[in-house]
Amino acid sequence: MATFTERMAPVLVLWLAVSLSGTWAVDKGNFKTCDQSSFCKRQRALKPGESPYRALLETMELTNTRLTLQLINDNNKVRLLLELYRLQGNITRVKINELKPLKLRYEVPDVLIRDPPTEPLSLLSQDENGVVLSLGAESQRVIVSARPFRLDIMEGREVLMSLNSRGLLAFEHLRMRKDTFSYKVTSTVASVWDNIKRVFSSQADPEAEKKEETDPAKQAETAKEEEEKVEDGMWEETFKSHSDSKPNGPSAVSLDFSLPGVEHVYGIPEHADTLRLKTTENGDPYRLYNLDVFQYELYNPMALYGAVPVMLAHNAQRTTGIFWLNAAETWVDISSNTAGKTVFGKMLDYVQGSSETPQTDVRWISESGIIDVFIMLGPTPKDVFAQYASLTGTQAFPPLAAVGYHQCRWNYNDQEDVTSVDAGFDEHDIPYDYIWLDIEHTDGKRYFTWDPHKFASPKEMLQGLMDKKRKMVAIVDPHIKVDTNYKIHNEIRSRSFYIKNKDGGDYEGWCWPGSAGYPDFTRADMRDWWASMFAYDQYEGSMENLYTWNDMNEPSVFNGPEVTMHKDALHGAWEHRDVHNLYGFYVQMATAEGLIQRSGGVERPFVLTRAFFAGSQRYGAVWTGDNAAEWDHLKVSIPMCLSLGLVGISFCGADVGGFFKSPSTELLVRWYQTGAYQPFFRAHAHLDTPRREPWLFGPENTALIREAVRQRYTLLPYWYQQFYHAHRTGQPIMRPLWVEYPEDPATFALDDEFLIGRDLLVHPVTEEGARGVTAYLPGKDEVWFDVHTFQKHNGAQNLYIPVTISSIPVFQRGGSIIPRKIRVRRSSSCMMHDPYTLYVALNPQRTAEGELYIDDGHTFNYEKEFIHRRLSFANNLLSSVNLAPDAQFSTRSWIERIVILGASKPSKVILKTDDGQESQLEFDFDSSMSVLTLRKPGMNAGVDWNVMLQ
Amino acid sequence: MFETGVSGFLSSDMRLHISLTFIITITASCGTADSRKIRGISPSYKRFYRERKSFLCIDGSKMIPFEQVNDDYCDCEDGSDEPGTSACPRGRFYCTNLSFRPHYIPSSRVNDGICDCCDASDEYNSHARCQNTCWNLGQRERAYVEGQMRTLDEGLQLKQQLIEEGVLLWREKQAQLRELQQVAEDLQIKLEEHRRKKHEAERLREQTLKALGAGDSSVRRENGSSTFNFLDSNKDGSLTVEEVQAKVALVHDEERLLSEDEAVALLGGGRLMDLTLFQHTLWDVLTKADSVKIRGSLDAAGRVVAEDLEASDGEWEATNQKKVEEAYDTVNMEISDLRKKLTIDYGPDWEFLFLNSQCYKLKVYEYTYTLCPFNQVTQRSTAGADVSLGRWGMWAGTPHNQYSQMVYESGEPCWQGGSRSTTVTLTCGTETALRSVREPSKCQYIMDFQTPVACQPVLKQRGIHSEL
Repeated sequence: MATFTERMAPVLVLWLAVSLSGTWAVDKGNFKTCDQSSFCKRQRALKPGESPYRALLETMELTNTRLTLQLINDNNKVRLLLELYRLQGNITRVKINELKPLKLRYEVPDVLIRDPPTEPLSLLSQDENGVVLSLGAESQRVIVSARPFRLDIMEGREVLMSLNSRGLLAFEHLRMRKDTFSYKVTSTVASVWDNIKRVFSSQADPEAEKKEETDPAKQAETAKEEEEKVEDGMWEETFKSHSDSKPNGPSAVSLDFSLPGVEHVYGIPEHADTLRLKTTENGDPYRLYNLDVFQYELYNPMALYGAVPVMLAHNAQRTTGIFWLNAAETWVDISSNTAGKTVFGKMLDYVQGSSETPQTDVRWISESGIIDVFIMLGPTPKDVFAQYASLTGTQAFPPLAAVGYHQCRWNYNDQEDVTSVDAGFDEHDIPYDYIWLDIEHTDGKRYFTWDPHKFASPKEMLQGLMDKKRKMVAIVDPHIKVDTNYKIHNEIRSRSFYIKNKDGGDYEGWCWPGSAGYPDFTRADMRDWWASMFAYDQYEGSMENLYTWNDMNEPSVFNGPEVTMHKDALHGAWEHRDVHNLYGFYVQMATAEGLIQRSGGVERPFVLTRAFFAGSQRYGAVWTGDNAAEWDHLKVSIPMCLSLGLVGISFCGADVGGFFKSPSTELLVRWYQTGAYQPFFRAHAHLDTPRREPWLFGPENTALIREAVRQRYTLLPYWYQQFYHAHRTGQPIMRPLWVEYPEDPATFALDDEFLIGRDLLVHPVTEEGARGVTAYLPGKDEVWFDVHTFQKHNGAQNLYIPVTISSIPVFQRGGSIIPRKIRVRRSSSCMMHDPYTLYVALNPQRTAEGELYIDDGHTFNYEKEFIHRRLSFANNLLSSVNLAPDAQFSTRSWIERIVILGASKPSKVILKTDDGQESQLEFDFDSSMSVLTLRKPGMNAGVDWNVMLQ
Repeated sequence: MFETGVSGFLSSDMRLHISLTFIITITASCGTADSRKIRGISPSYKRFYRERKSFLCIDGSKMIPFEQVNDDYCDCEDGSDEPGTSACPRGRFYCTNLSFRPHYIPSSRVNDGICDCCDASDEYNSHARCQNTCWNLGQRERAYVEGQMRTLDEGLQLKQQLIEEGVLLWREKQAQLRELQQVAEDLQIKLEEHRRKKHEAERLREQTLKALGAGDSSVRRENGSSTFNFLDSNKDGSLTVEEVQAKVALVHDEERLLSEDEAVALLGGGRLMDLTLFQHTLWDVLTKADSVKIRGSLDAAGRVVAEDLEASDGEWEATNQKKVEEAYDTVNMEISDLRKKLTIDYGPDWEFLFLNSQCYKLKVYEYTYTLCPFNQVTQRSTAGADVSLGRWGMWAGTPHNQYSQMVYESGEPCWQGGSRSTTVTLTCGTETALRSVREPSKCQYIMDFQTPVACQPVLKQRGIHSEL
C-alpha cells in the first residue's frame, strides 16, 4: 500500500496541476519534465566532479586522419572508444561509442551531406599524462588528458573549449536485464542458499562472516553492483497512462563542454524563448524532442515541433559552435559563472580585477545513440555557418514565388471559396502567390485525395490559379488512415512500410483521420515509394502549380505519450527512441524528392514542414507551428526565426495573425508588417476563428495590410538574392545583429530587431498601442537610411523612432546597394520581366556595394543559367560587373531608376554601356534629403555598364 | 440545306460586326498622332493628353516634356503621365472594351501576361496571347442583363401580387386579431359569469350550512329543493329510480346501496317523483330517518348534504370554468403571438409577410438547411438531429435597402464560445427559394435567399457600350 500511495502522490499532484491550470495555455502535464524522463533525471543527478573515465593512452592509434583511443570507466570497467577527427574547414569531430556494445548503438544517418572530408592530424607531443595534437591552422591544438579523461581545444595559450572538464561524460552501456524473471529466480535461489550457508557457517565459525565482509575483492564487487543498481525507469517507464517497455534498458549518453570567455550562447531550436539562451540551473534544461504542443507557452525551455542540436557560442573575439549529432530525446543544460551577477557586480569584478573569467558550461544529455559531436571553431560567425553548412548542407533554393506572400486558413472550404478569396486579392489589389488548403480539402483526411463534393474538380481550380500566375499548397500529413478502401494505406500495408509496434504489428495511433498508421520514413525504399506518389498520374488532381505542406510530422499521435509515438515502436532494427527527432526531417525529404521527381528533376520543390532536424534546411521551409493571436507571440516570432537561421534553417516564418484565437485589428496589421520582413510570409488561422482575409477590417486596415505586402513584393529581388546567398553559403537570411557586428556587445542579446542579409535592418513594431520604438543602429562609423523617408542616421546609437500604425521601421545600411522592383503586381511571376530600381545608399566614404541575382525563378537551371552581378559605387562611378561569366542567362528586365542616398548634386550624369554607347541621363536631386534620382537609364539588367556622376 | 444557309448567314453577319469593330478601333487609334500616347485613356480624360510640348501631371504637381507621357517611366506622383504602361504604382489603365463595358484596371495589370481587358489592349507587349472577347462578353452580358431584366419584370409582377396578397394577409391577420380579441372578450365575460356563479354557489353553501345547523324548517324546505336538484342528476325536474339508487344509501351498521325495490319504495311506490312530492315525502325521510342517507354521509346528514351539493354542482361548475379559463389563455396566447408577428417589420407593403410561417430547405453536401423566415434557421445532418443556426434577429441590410439582409442569432452554442448565427441575403428572383448556404467561418452561416419580393423596381442598369 505504501508503495502505491508513494507512486500515486506525484500523479495526484500532476492531476491537480492539470485541473488547476487555466483554460488557455499549454497543458504542461501532458509533457515531461526532466524529472519525469528517467534518463534525464538519472543523468542530471550526476554532479560535476572528477570523471571516472580514464584514457588508455597505450590503446591510441593515430592514422593520417583519425585518432582512436580507448576510455575506461574506473567504476565499472566498461570501455569506450574515442575517435577524433580533424575535418576540413576548422572542425573537430569527437565520437565516443562503447568499445564492445552488446548490440549496435544508433548512429544518425542521412543528416550529413557526405562523409566529412578530413585533414591530417599530427602528434605534437605525448607523455603518460596525455597527448597533444595539432589542428593545423592558427596554432590550434587538442590536448587529450588521460586521468581523468578530458579534451581541451586550444589556440595559442587560450582554451577555446573543454570537453569533460566537469566530469560529466556518462555512457550508459548496454547490458543484460537483471530484474527479468530468470535472473531473479537464479539470484533469489542463490541468496537463499547463501543465507542457509551463512547460518550453518556462523554456527561453525562465528568469524567467517566477518572475514568474508572484509575481503577486498568482494568489496569491489559490491561497489560495482551498487554502481549498476537498477533504478526506477531503467527497464520500464511510465508516463501518465503510457508505458515504455525499454527492452534495451538504460542507454543514455552525456557530455559537458566548457566555454571560457563566453557569456552568450544561442541556437538549439526549437524553443519559444529569447535569442540568447538562458541558464537552466533553476529549472529544466532546454529540451529537444519533436512534439505537437497544443497552445504552447512562451519563454520556457519546453520542447516544440522541431529540434536542431546545434549551439553557437559567441564573444567579441570568437564564435564557435557545437553540433551534437543525436536524434534521440535530448536535454541541454546551460550554466554560467556570471549568470545572476548584476551589471554592478560584473563592474565590480572588472574594477577589482576579479580573476574569474566569464565562462559558460553546457551539458548535453541524450537518451540513446552515441556521442558524435562536431566542434566548429569559427572564428567568425560566418565561418561557423560555413562549417555547419559543410556538414549538413545549405538552405534549399526555393522557387521565387515561395518568397512571396502565402494566404492560408484552416480551411478554405471548397473550390468556390478558393475562387472568391483569389478574386478578393485582385479586387483589393493585394498581391499573393500561394493559396493553401488544410486537412479539410481531403476525402476524409485521406491525403493525396480531394473531397469529392467540395473539391470535385481540383484541376479546374488549379488551372484557374495558374491563369492568374498563382499557385496552391495542399497538405499531406504522414499519418495514413487505416482504411482498406484507401489506396495509399493498402500499398503501405502490403509493402510492410508502416512503423511497427513493440510486438511487431503495424503501429496504429489516433490522429485526424481516426485510426492511422505511420509510414517508416527512415527507410529509403519507403521514401522512394512516397516520392513516387507525387507523380501527376498518382496524385490525382495535382498539377505543376500544386505544392505540399507536411504537418503533424513530429509525429503527432493524439493518443500517444506526450502526443507522439511510443518510444518502443520499431523502425526495423531500431527503436523509435533512437530516431524520433529525425522523423519529420525524413518526411519532408521524401516529399521534396517527390516534387522534384514529378517534374523530371526540372522544377524546384516547395515543401513546408512543422517538424525538423539538423539538415532540414535542404528540403524547404519551416514555420513556428500553432502560435496564438497575442502580442507576445508576435514578439517571439523574431527570436524563434533568428535561432533557426543561426542553425542553417533560413526559410522560417510564423503564422501571420496567430493561429489560435482572433487577433485585434491592430495586432493583425502589425503582424503583417512584421511578417512581410521575415523569410516565410504566410497568414494562417484556426478553423474556429472568424475570417481574416486582409480586406475584412475596413478600408484603412486593408490599405495598411496592402502596403505591408507591397513592401515585401518590391523587395523580392533582394529577398531572392538573400536566398541564393543562403543556398550558396549557409549564412542566415534573417540575422541577429551580432552576426554582422560580432565585436559590439550591445548587439549580443538584441532580439526585437534583426537584419535581412547584411543591408536591411528591421525593427518591427510589436507593442500594442506603440507610439515609438527604440532601435539600435549598429556600426560606429556607419550610417543608416530610413527606407521610407531616406533620412540618414548615424550608427552605434539607440534611435527613438516615433511610429504610427502605418510605420514599419526599416533601415538600409550606408554602403549597400539594394535592387527593388517597384511595379508590384498580382503575383511574383507577373513581375518576372519588370525593370529594377537600384537603391544606392552611400557610406561616409561615399562608396557602396551590392549584388543583382536573376534566374528563371523556378527550375534547377539556376545551377548554370543565371545572372549574378556585382554593383559597386566608388569615386562617383556606379558599375555593374559580372560575377559569373560562365553562367548563361538573359533577362528582359532593365534598370529603370537609380536612387542614390546621401549623394551630392552632380552637374551631369553619363551612362556608358558595354557596346561603348554613351548617353547623358536626366536626374532629379532632392537637396533636403540628399537624394539623387537618375531617370530611366534603361540598360538591360544583365549587361556591363557604368554610370558616372560628374 | 436550309439550316446551313441560315447559320452561314448568321456567321457572316457576325464577322461583319467584328470587322466593323476593328475598323472603328483602328480609325480611333489613328485619330491622334501617336497610338502610344492614346493608350489607356478614357474619352473623358483625352483633353489632358492633347499633343503639346509639355504635359502637366493631372494633379498639377509637375510639368514634363510630352515625350515622357507613356514612355514607361513614372514621372507624376499621381501616375497620370503613364496611363498606358505599368510604370506608375498608383496608375490606372482604361480598357475601352468596345461592344462591352469599358473599365479601369490598375496599371500593374498592364503587360503582366494575364488578359484583363476583353479587347486585349492591356497586353500589347507581353507573351500573353489575348483574344478580343468583348463582343462575346457583350452578348453574354446583354443576354444576362436581359435575363435579369426579365427576371426583374417577372419578379416585380410577382412582387406586386405578393404585396397585394400581403396586404390581404395583413388585413386577414388584423381581422384575425380582432376576431381573437372578440373571442377573448366573450370568454372574459363568460369567465366573469362563471366566477359570479361560483361566488353565488359559495354563498348558497354557507347559507345551507347555517340553515342545517339551526334546524330551521323553512330553510330546510328551501334546502329540500336544492337536495332535489342534487338528486335529479339529469335535471329533468323529476327523480327516477336510477337517480335515487345513485345517490341515496341505506344505513344500518354500514352504508349499503338501495335495491331497485327499495328505491321504488322511497319514491312512494312510483318510478318518478317531482319536487312537490319530494318535499312532502322523501325530504322528510332523508332529514329525519336515520337509516336513509344521501350517499357518502356518515356524519351529520346536513353537512354531508351540503358538501355533496357543492361537490356535484361545484364540480360541474369548476370544470366549466377551467375550460373557459384555458380557452381564454389560449386565445390570449394566440393574440400575443399574432401581435408579436405583426410587430415584425414586413417591409413597407407587408410584402415579406407571406414568408412568415413558411420554411425553405436546401441540401448542401451532407447537410439539409431549413430557413423559416422570421422564425429560425436549422441544420440537419444526414445522421443527426436538428441544430439551431439562429433565431430571427433583425433586418441588417444596407442603409439604402435594409431589407436586403436578415440576421438570425443565438443558435446552438459553439465549441469555442459564442453561438451559431446566420446571415441571409435576399436577392431578386422569380421564385422563392433558398439558393446557397456557406459557412465561411465556424458557426457563421451565410445564405442566399431568392424571392420576388426582394426585387427592387429601380435596378441600375450597368452601362453597356451601345456605340457600334
